[in-house]
Amino acid sequence: MTQFLNYAVPGVPFGCVFALMAVGLVLTYKASGVFNLAFGAQAFVSALAYVSLDQDGWPRWASTVIAVLVIGPLVGVLLDRLLFRRIRTASPLVKLVPSLGLLVALPQLAIIIAGSEPSIPPPAIVGNAQRVYLHLGSVPLSGLELSISAATVVVVAGLVVLFRFTPVGLEMRAVVESPRMTELAGVNAGRVSAFAWILSSIMAALAGVLLSPLYSQLDPQNFTVLLVWGVAGAVIGRFASLPLALVGGLALGIAQQVVAGYMPAGVIANGLRPSLPFVVLLVFLPLVRQRQVDDPLSSCDPPSSASEAATAGFRSASTVATSGGAVHSVGVWHQRLEGLPGSRMTGILVRRPTATFAWVVGGLAILSALTWVPPDWLLTMNQGVAFAIIFLSLTLLTGMTGQISLCQATFAGLGGFMAGQLANHFGLPIVLGMVAGGLLAAGLGVLVAIPTLRLAGLPLALATLAFALLADNILFPNSWIGNGAGGITVPRPSAGPVSFAAAKPFFLLSLVILGVCAGVVKLVGDGTMGRYLSAVRGSELAANAVGIDVYRLRVLVFALSAALAGVGGALFGSLEGSLSANDFGYQISAVLLVVVAIVGLGSIAGAVVAGVVYTTLQVAVTSLPSRFAGLVAVLFGLATLSYTRHPEGFLDFLSGRVQTAIADRRSHRLGDGPAEHGPVDGGVGERPAAAPDPVIGGAG
Amino acid sequence: MSDVGATRPLLVADGITKQFGGITALDHVDMEVAAGEAVGVVGPNGAGKTTLFNCLFGLEDPDEGTVVFDGKRINRMPVWKRSRLGIGRTFQRMELFEGMTVADHLLVAEQAASGTVRVWRDFVHRGGPTPAELHHVEEVLGLLGLSDLAGRPVDTLDLGHARLVELGRAMMGTPRLLMLDEPSSGLDSDDTARLARILGETRRTTGVAVVLVEHDLALVESTVDRLYVLNFGKVLASGAVDDVLADPEVRRAYLGSTA
Repeated sequence: MTQFLNYAVPGVPFGCVFALMAVGLVLTYKASGVFNLAFGAQAFVSALAYVSLDQDGWPRWASTVIAVLVIGPLVGVLLDRLLFRRIRTASPLVKLVPSLGLLVALPQLAIIIAGSEPSIPPPAIVGNAQRVYLHLGSVPLSGLELSISAATVVVVAGLVVLFRFTPVGLEMRAVVESPRMTELAGVNAGRVSAFAWILSSIMAALAGVLLSPLYSQLDPQNFTVLLVWGVAGAVIGRFASLPLALVGGLALGIAQQVVAGYMPAGVIANGLRPSLPFVVLLVFLPLVRQRQVDDPLSSCDPPSSASEAATAGFRSASTVATSGGAVHSVGVWHQRLEGLPGSRMTGILVRRPTATFAWVVGGLAILSALTWVPPDWLLTMNQGVAFAIIFLSLTLLTGMTGQISLCQATFAGLGGFMAGQLANHFGLPIVLGMVAGGLLAAGLGVLVAIPTLRLAGLPLALATLAFALLADNILFPNSWIGNGAGGITVPRPSAGPVSFAAAKPFFLLSLVILGVCAGVVKLVGDGTMGRYLSAVRGSELAANAVGIDVYRLRVLVFALSAALAGVGGALFGSLEGSLSANDFGYQISAVLLVVVAIVGLGSIAGAVVAGVVYTTLQVAVTSLPSRFAGLVAVLFGLATLSYTRHPEGFLDFLSGRVQTAIADRRSHRLGDGPAEHGPVDGGVGERPAAAPDPVIGGAG
Repeated sequence: MSDVGATRPLLVADGITKQFGGITALDHVDMEVAAGEAVGVVGPNGAGKTTLFNCLFGLEDPDEGTVVFDGKRINRMPVWKRSRLGIGRTFQRMELFEGMTVADHLLVAEQAASGTVRVWRDFVHRGGPTPAELHHVEEVLGLLGLSDLAGRPVDTLDLGHARLVELGRAMMGTPRLLMLDEPSSGLDSDDTARLARILGETRRTTGVAVVLVEHDLALVESTVDRLYVLNFGKVLASGAVDDVLADPEVRRAYLGSTA
């Protein structure tokens, strides 16, 4: 018992911080419908402010007040006003992408503003962080631990008072229960939501400031890892209950110390602690009922089809955002399999300029690669091809089904390691190794999918994030998988009559593999499965009712997507000659998702362009001075903000614009006035010239 | 038609009981539908009509009782399997595949109902529809009078046509039982009359059995052979339409002052 306490008591301060994060996450989730993954970034911003002010010689209480009660809420209110309020009813993807972008961009912006990353451990709010003030039994409690626990007790007491005894607390409880019902009762839900954001941001700020003394250097990464613990706490609270989230966070903090204490030292034990969130998510996510995530009143909405149809031509940018990026992308896929003879002719005519342009640019790029391009450029291009395959996996998964995965990089890494290990230990030809890597990734994909896919959207995204963390901590460090930071070598294909080891032949081989993968995605998208997926996106209930086994379909697509990522990762490893855990860490997955969402999830071209963009960005980040690298990250974050306005992605937006311009010009020439479908902002790709031809889809 | 199923009823619900918390939504409800027969379910709001529907269709698991379809016990069978067995349904709150065309709604349902679509078909045959599937889609479109709207995205349809698309989707894969959940809600009298006409025609041409939950008594009377009246989760009365509607207890519980 004493030993248990010895392990458990040091966990309490961590638990307090996790609890603060969990409560903050649930608050904004229920009040504004957004699961704010930028929470970790908010914590970092306030921590940085606290440390910077402290180092500038401000008194400790003043730095605390400014960081927690001024800067924290300020960031929160800005986020609410400028961004999250507008995407309240958008699809899960549209809600998630900006918060992921902010998770990357906010810390970099803060670092640029602060001038530098401070490297001296800052003091705790109360007392000396390291000094032991009192003993609880045999457990020493330092100033850091005491200040964390004390601050949490104060906050929790404040929350209880707020929720129990104040009118705004009552309103917030009501909003958490059902925003719609509360609005019907005459409460301004927007004001309450703003208040929830302020509260939540204070908790983020407090969590950041309290924990900052723990790190010798403030690194945004640390706060992202913390975020996952908060997420796990929120899941224990079933995204809905503040007290449960509080208890859940506290329990997690204690549990992680206890687990670490009792387990024998080693890779597994070291890895198990960071993997605890994944285990928690696996156990608790199935307990979350969709009903608890949704507003109880949401089923009382009027049927949308008729009323929306009337205004379809006049959709503003914000309603396009609410209609959801993934629906949109499916629409793009769908329109391709329409095959209405009437519209196909005009479709090809209208489409030709953009499509032709794309093929010409692609052809020129390949020609250049094989002739005059310097070797390091060729390498970058080849990396782009490898990543294009990984992006294709997201085109398939997120673009066509709307499922969000935050572990595609993990699948890529596993595929690459599998290929490399098989080649190194069993002499398997690397191309076969790539296939094996894809199969392994598919198998693991099924394992991840089965417990989590019953809940679509956000829960799946969180489960995949946790799986990525688990892989980072348990799988990748193993010598027989990823061999940790050292990594493993992955050979280039050399067996057989033709050697693909040299740069140019390997580039050609990569193109062939990309072609095969793109073909798979295209066949799936244009075929029966694509039609099923489109139906599931439209209405899961009705898809089930017509006889589609939605669950199996999801698992299948998830596995296929994982396989593509695995092949892409293996190709990347073979290209580089080696692969290490750092190449495909968990944070890469989030960046990948954001990049391809911005470029466009609706087409294969989107994946290819995303591959080019991503590798170019990487070159930019690594070759520029660190100050500018931060700037790149900030711009990246800003791009995600524009994404909420154009959830169809940059490519479809662009081609929509071109099509509209061409159609306008043509109808102008014919004297018909402006084209019927007009310059609808962003809505062009979704609803192209609604063709009233009485012909059955696919008959042509 | 009802004599066809006299030997063995198509659907048998036996002692269906469902509780939500302390509320008994359904209390030992028995129901039978013969092959080709049309059965109406009426009752005041909260009588348990939709819960009964969901228990029969698989969206809810009954706490007690069994559901037998075509001699096969289908308790706990997932929704999509019931659909493939030959049960189609529409929804009170529209559940259309937003963004898809009218024809594709029917095509998806046709392909899914057959259950024969495999991944390889997408890769080998590029996933196109077969002539037989297309033929059936055109047939149903014609029956519903939707041929002119086949290529229209459903989001651009008015509610009356949208309800017909739902009906058509439920009819694909030649089901033996159609479950219609308040198909007339939100429709005006013209649309409802058209729906009644099409339902009648559908039953004549396909011989499909129908379970109809409906508030519009005119539509019920013109469509169904037999009627069940639910009240507080119990079957208050059942039998031929005229007899049931004449029952004084039914008039008191359901029809109230309008009777």
